[in-house]
Order: sequence, then structure tokens, then C-alpha cells
Amino acid sequence: MEQYSILGRIGEGAHGIVFKAKHIETGETVALKKVALRRLEDGIPNQALREIKALQEIEDNQHVVKLKDVFPHGTGFVLVFEFMLSDLFEVIRNSERPLTPAQVKGYMMMLLKGVAFLHHNNIMHRDLKPANLLISSSGHLKIADFGLARLFSEEGDRLYSHQVATRWYRAPELLYGARKYDEGVDLWAVGCIFGELLNSSPLFPGENDIEQLCCVLRVLGTPTQDSWPEIVELPDYNKITFKENPAIPLEEIVPDTSPQAIDLLYKLLVYPSKQRCSARQALLHPYFFSSPLPAHHSELPIPQRGGRPPRQRLQAPPADFSLDLPLQSSVVDPVLLREHASCL
Amino acid sequence: MFHNSSQRKYWIFKSEDELEQMRHRANQKFRNKIHESGKAAASASVFLERHEEEVLFRHYERRLMDFCSIFKPAMPKSVVGTAIMYFRRFYLNNSIMEYHPRIIMLTCAYLSCKVDEFNVSSTQFVGNLLQETPAGQERVLEQILEYELLLIQQLNFHLVVHNPYRPMEGLLIDLKTRYPMLENPESLRKSADDFLTQAAITDAGLLFPPSQIALTAILNSSSRAGLSMESYLTECMGLKGDKETLSKMYDSMRRMKTLLKKYELPKSEEVNVYKQKLERIHAEFSSSNKRKRGYEEDGHVAKERRLEEEEWTDEDLI
Repeated sequence: MEQYSILGRIGEGAHGIVFKAKHIETGETVALKKVALRRLEDGIPNQALREIKALQEIEDNQHVVKLKDVFPHGTGFVLVFEFMLSDLFEVIRNSERPLTPAQVKGYMMMLLKGVAFLHHNNIMHRDLKPANLLISSSGHLKIADFGLARLFSEEGDRLYSHQVATRWYRAPELLYGARKYDEGVDLWAVGCIFGELLNSSPLFPGENDIEQLCCVLRVLGTPTQDSWPEIVELPDYNKITFKENPAIPLEEIVPDTSPQAIDLLYKLLVYPSKQRCSARQALLHPYFFSSPLPAHHSELPIPQRGGRPPRQRLQAPPADFSLDLPLQSSVVDPVLLREHASCL
Repeated sequence: MFHNSSQRKYWIFKSEDELEQMRHRANQKFRNKIHESGKAAASASVFLERHEEEVLFRHYERRLMDFCSIFKPAMPKSVVGTAIMYFRRFYLNNSIMEYHPRIIMLTCAYLSCKVDEFNVSSTQFVGNLLQETPAGQERVLEQILEYELLLIQQLNFHLVVHNPYRPMEGLLIDLKTRYPMLENPESLRKSADDFLTQAAITDAGLLFPPSQIALTAILNSSSRAGLSMESYLTECMGLKGDKETLSKMYDSMRRMKTLLKKYELPKSEEVNVYKQKLERIHAEFSSSNKRKRGYEEDGHVAKERRLEEEEWTDEDLI
């Protein structure tokens, strides 16, 4: 702890206070998340363990927040993260005009890269939402808050809790009480976030769990055994019935949006989890390769924490991108596209 | 994935010798600490020798296994495997003279349940200590929670343990799909399982990747059944042309088997003698730091400091 000087308070997480601090030796700004252990009858909270577990086992990724260190302190311990200026919730709330299509695309690309990386490492996040997508001072989006993250396995015999994910982003199978689910819950959340970026307002803002399901069903139509065969096996399927209604075309829900964006949204917001487009596949969707191309991170707004209006950049961003990167890493290898082209 | 796991990076060691050296250092560290504290001119005979420590360690490790095997609800294998691995990792750098294995073993099991998402409440957990009264269980729980932080710190916050059970399932599936020469791969399971149970209470997990342990279990099981599976390695695993890897692998397997063969059950008369010694050591030397929440390095957690740190407000941090 002596290595850091506290600069201020960022907020309060589920299991402790988060501070902004400076690493004295390097001068680097970090976020310290303190996990206190007093008065906890079960000891170290599961959420803290999950967070450490998930973040310790993965290699660095540009779009996943980095756990720099863990150390004990007092009666608990401290998680040290890289410091992030803001989050996507603030971006959506504070941007004075809607995000441009290119900006939405830029965020979606970073989000999907992060999710693809996690899923590749057998981690499901289970609580993706704008407030958990942090924005760095350089405009990068990074997935954070692994308090609900789980390592998943293909064994398929473990039961999980369905009380995960913030309601608006909760997948329909969770709303029906599913205890066995997969990384599809993250892909649903990605779809919801996508819609929210496009509309600047949440796609399914349910006030409670029942209403949440209503919101989803109103848009996607009441599920049938055809559109969602597994639904009959879900615990709460028989507990509630809704008046039948047809789906509303997403074009009406997310107006003024390019057909490709709509198409990708359709591929994410699908009832059967297995049919949702994987993050890797989604990254190869034509949406990302058509004009306008995804905005570079330096062209994205970076609101200050605390809700001040975003500062517009006066000058063009320095052209530091693409110069220090090898060309191969900024263009897509056509070979990679070929095998997926048919399914898109 | 094991490949980029903390297990591979930090908890797989080169040789049996290296492990023994670490344990020896831990033993020495405790002796030095007592000498430095100037506490009673402790004669060397008071302390446990390495081989005595080893006997007690194995005794408590078996107790840990027993505790897990009768645990209700039934504990999945991976939870047990992780608990034992924590126990082994913990005592690589710490002497049982410093931290009593009785409580550390329970703390390992408790942490393993949480990390492996085997959800039992703390009361349910200590409820499995059948010989304890409810009040006794309460006390044990208090101790577990007190040592949990020490444990996770000594594990260097590396919590994910890769056990050989899943790789073994994978190998069995692979045998069924790609190795028709073997008629009934399932028949290998029983003895391979036994091998893994045995391997868990040796240093195998600190020396070899879980997949190799699983493979050795399978091959061992097949050779006991009089089946040769060499062509599985050469053909299916593509090691035909790779003499070097193949011979390395055989070498690892031999070392693993030796580890299992060398394992000796702790003798009860020895255990009893050393236990008395251990109890004396704990009674004499560790009373002063009984309450410490514990960090080795700043071991002098005095009363005032504890109070000071009780509250985690910004005031005392800024």
C-alpha cells in the first residue's frame, strides 16, 4: 500500500470502495479496488475470488481491463487495475448528439474483440452492460468487473445461478430461470448494448423481471416451440404466459440504421442461445467492413467521470495509429473471411 | 486453459530435489525465526526434522482426503483435487511448525469449495466436522476465516488449479473415437481413477502438467490389463517421428510411477510421537501470534494496528 498515493475516490463497487491512486515509483495512475473482509460470515466473497480467478488466468488483451497486482492490506486485500477514465454508460448518457454510425461501430468492434477473447479463454462474463465497459483516456473500450465471471466447461452438468446480469441485459433464458446456460448470455447482452448504442437509450428497459420479459417478447414476438424449442425445459416456462404477439421488425425498434447493423442485431438477439452469432463470427460480419468504417479509438468521445459534457477534440488526433503497427495487423486476411462468408 | 495458466507459469517445478529444497528452507526459516526472537534457547531437538514434518504432512493430507470424501453434499473430485493442491502449495514455503496443518487443511478445503463454485455455506461446511459440537464448529469456522487470507496470499492469489480429471475424460473420449484397436476404453477407467487418486497425494501435480498425469494413468491402467497402447502415442498422438518427445514422455511417466510407488503411509506410532512434538511447538512458540490475520512479512501485527485497520474509510487512506 505504501507504494501508492491515493488521489481520490472513484466509486463504490459491490465489495468495496474503488480509489484512484498513483503508483509512486512509476507515476502510473491506477484504480485500487479494496476488498474488506470484516463482518463477512463466509470469508472472502465469491465475487472477489471470481474476479481474481478470471483475471489471473488470462493473458493481456487490449479490450479487457488489466489486473496489475493483488496484495493484502489490513484485514482484506487490494486489486490493482489500470485506471480508466470513464465507461460506456457515461458515454451514452453524456453525448450531446447521438453517436455516429462509425463511432457505434468502433465501440462494437472493441466490445466484440474483448468478448471473443474471453470466450476463447472459457470465461463467460455474465454481467456485460455499458457501466462495465470502461473507456480509457485514449478512447479504448475495455471489459471490466469480473465479479460474476465464470470459467465455463463443456461438461454441461454444473448448474449456475440465474440471478446474474443486470436486468436490462439479461438473456431470455435467464429470465425464464435457466440454471444451465452458456456464453450465449454474453452475446445477448452484446446485442442489447448494440441496440442501446444505436438508439442512445436502452433496448429493453424492464422495471422488474416480469416486465423485462414482456419488453423482450413485445419486440421479438412471443416465442414458440418452433422459434425456441428449448423453452419448454426452462424452469419458469409454465409459471407465466403472455398474450401472443408477433415480432416487431427491428428496423422499427432501431430506426435510421443501416441494414447491415440490423442484420447483425438480428443475429445476436435470437431466442435459442446456441443460435446467437459468436463474437468471433460477429467480427467478420460485413457490418464492420462497409462504409462508414469503424471509428478509430482516437475519434471516440471521452467523457469525464462525474457527468461533465464531453470535451470535443479541437485538433485532429495525432496520426500515431497505424504508423507503429505492422500492416498485417490492421488488415483482415481474406483467407479468414472465406470460410465464414457463406454463413453471413 | 492450462497453457497460459498460473499453474504452468508458477507452480510446476523442475525436480523432486527442487521441491525438497524449498521445504527444507521453510523448515529452516521457522527455526531461524525462533532463534532470532530470542525465545528460550531452543535446542535443535525441539524442532521437527524434515522427515518428521513429512510424515505429519502426509497424515494431515490423508485427513483432508477423508474429510472431503465423507463431505455432504458429495464433493466433486475437482474440488478435492484443488484442496489438496492448495495444501501442497502452501507447505512448500511454510513449515507445519509455523501454521498448524489441522486448520490449514480445512481452510484449503473451504477455499477450494468457493473457488470451484461448489456452493456450500460456511455453516454447512463446518457442519461436516461431525465430532465437533456446534460451538466447536463455530470456533473452527472462525479460525478458517482467519486463515483464509493468509492462505490465498501464500498461494500468491493463484486460485485456479487444473486437475487431471478432465484431461482423463478427454483421453477416454479420444480413445473411443480415434483408437479402435482398444476394444473397451471404459474398462481402463477404474484403475486409471485409482492412479489419479494416488497421484493427488504425491508431488506429481507440482511436477507435471495435468494432461500428462492423466495420460500416465491411462497407460498404466492399460499395461496392468495387459494391453499395449504404444501405437496410441506413436500413431494417434503423432509422436512416431519424434523420438525425443517420446522418450521425454516415457521418462516423465517413469518418474511419476516412482513417485506413486515411493509413497508410504504414515505409521501411526510415528505420527503420534511427532504430533506431540508439533503440539508442543505450537503451544510454546506460536501463542504470541495466534490472533494474527497474517502476513508473514509484516508478522508483527500488533493490537493497535489491527484496530486502526478495522475501518476502511477513505479518511485513513488519503
